[in-house]
This record gives sequence, C-alpha cells and structure tokens, in this order.
Amino acid sequence: MAKAADIDVTPEEPYAVAGARIVRVRTQELFSHGEGVLDTEDIERVHDMRVASRRLRAVLEIFAPCFPRAEFKSALRDVKQLADALGERRDPDVHIAAMRSFAAAVTAAQRPGVERLAERQRERQAEGNRVLAEALEDVEATGLRGRLLALADAAEPGA
Amino acid sequence: MKARQVKGLDPAAPLGDNAERIVRVRLDELCSFMPRAADPAEVVALHDMRIAAKRLRYILEITGPCFGPYATTAVKLTKDLQDVLGEIHDCDVQLPELRVFAEELVVQDARAIAELAGAAGDLDPALLRRAPNRSAHAGLAALATYLQGRRELLFTRFLELWEEYERKGFRARLEFAAGERAGATISPA
Repeated sequence: MAKAADIDVTPEEPYAVAGARIVRVRTQELFSHGEGVLDTEDIERVHDMRVASRRLRAVLEIFAPCFPRAEFKSALRDVKQLADALGERRDPDVHIAAMRSFAAAVTAAQRPGVERLAERQRERQAEGNRVLAEALEDVEATGLRGRLLALADAAEPGA
Repeated sequence: MKARQVKGLDPAAPLGDNAERIVRVRLDELCSFMPRAADPAEVVALHDMRIAAKRLRYILEITGPCFGPYATTAVKLTKDLQDVLGEIHDCDVQLPELRVFAEELVVQDARAIAELAGAAGDLDPALLRRAPNRSAHAGLAALATYLQGRRELLFTRFLELWEEYERKGFRARLEFAAGERAGATISPA
C-alpha cells in the first residue's frame, strides 16, 4: 500500500493555513493513483486510490470550517462518490482474494462451492469496474482536482 | 454514521487548539460505543465504532505532532482497534451474502429434483446425485463455518484489546496528551 506523505505541522500555525497545505498534498496524492486503476489484474492500484480518497475525505472533514461552504459541500460530495465507486470495485477484489486462499486450504470436494461464489464476486467486480469508470469520467468532467485546489487557495489568507 | 459536530472551531486560531477540540470529541465518540459494542450481536454498533476509530485515527495522524508524546502511541492503538473491527465487519458483510447465495442454490436444486421426480408419489433421495449444484453445497457450508468461527475469534480479540486499552488508561492518557503542546516548555515562575 502506498504510504501517505508526512506533512509537517506545528501547533501554533493557523488551522486554515495547515488545512490548505494538507488538502493540496492529499489531493495530489489521490490523483497520482489514477493511472491503471481499472486494471483488475493489479488490485493494489484501486486499493491505493481508495485509501488516498479516504484520507482526502478525512482531511476535508477535519478542516471543513476553513473552506467556503457551498464549494466545500460540492467537492466533499464528489470525493465521497469517488470513494464509494472505488469501494464498489475494491470489495469484490478482497473477497475474490480471500476465496482464492480459502479454496487452496480446503478439500477438493469443498472447492467447487467456493469457486462458484468467487464467480459471483467476479461479476460484481466487473460491475464495480463499470461504476468506477463512470465515476472517474465524472471527476474529470467536473474538474474535481481544480476545485479541490481552489478550495485550498480560498482557505489560506492572502493566497 | 454521521460524525458528532465539533463546536467552537476557528480557522484563524492555532491548529493545536482546534485539533484538541476535534480529538476530544472523536475520542468521546469512540468510547461511547462501549459497552454496547461488547455484545457480539450489536453489528451496527461494532460497525459504527470502527468508523469512529477511523475518524480518531485520521485526526491523530494529521495533527498528532501538535500534542504530547502519547498521541503518537494512540495512532497505533487506534489503528489496531480499527483493523480488528474492520475484519469483524468483513465477516458481517460476507456471511449474509454467502447465506443468500447458498440458499439460492438450494432452491434451484430443490426445484430441479422435484421436476426430475415427475409423477412419483414421493421424492427419491438418489435424485440428489443429479442436482445441478450438488458439488457446491459442501464448500459453501465450509466457508460459512469458517467465517462464523473467524468472526467469533476476532470478536474475542477485540474485547481483549479494548480491555487492555482500558487497563493502560488509553482515554485518560490521550486526553492529557491532547492538552499538551509539542515543543512547549514550562517557564519557571
């Protein structure tokens, strides 16, 4: 799993200044994980992007009072939608991997049932990928990255 | 679960003071799930406690360096708690899905063998050998047993972990650390 960048903070700096800096970093991290995220052969990519989306969402919620209300609400809603779409893909990824290791541990007579359930999860994975592809298009079309960076600028006095 | 509102946050005020307010509310939120979440049947409370742990962990990860040294320890403790609650949640999600799927196959097979029986007065158990999903039932039952057993084991681990946190004064120590400021020195009178 990709580690989030450490961000230096000090207790004395203004809350909004720290919030602006952290939102910028977490926004860049989220979008840096976008490449190859629809590849079901490499499930770590979607995991990394999902973790980055959760971190960004957490930061937005922590620093909520620092941002212009309307722009903040719309950006947070879109980050949540992206995080949900990443979850739609990630959940079956995890279940398929767990079933694979479970199937390897049980008897041959028990394996077919587990494989049938894994097939069902692969269908969910394909559906999750379709949902995620749409969400990524929405992110692009609505300029989410730029809106998040603009939020950070608006939070920082004198930016 | 909607997060409890934190009152009195001021964008122009120091980060440490605002973060302290958030940590106190998130810590109280987390602790408020006990003892309810100590009941293994309280699936929703366990799930909500996991979300509360995640919220506390994130604020501590970001602003921990503002506080006393125990805040750093608390990040790891909160992550361990979130992890075990997350594993329990995975079982709670997978088990019902698995049971629904297994029941679908039972219904399909029951219908299929009833059709195979045709006009017979009673159902011949030997027809089970021709049920379309006959090879799937054993594995699904084994997986359900495994997930149920794993859930029980994880729940015991969760209770042990929480008991250990209480014994070591997790809440009081984190509250104290949230009131400290990193780098602050006490000036002699």
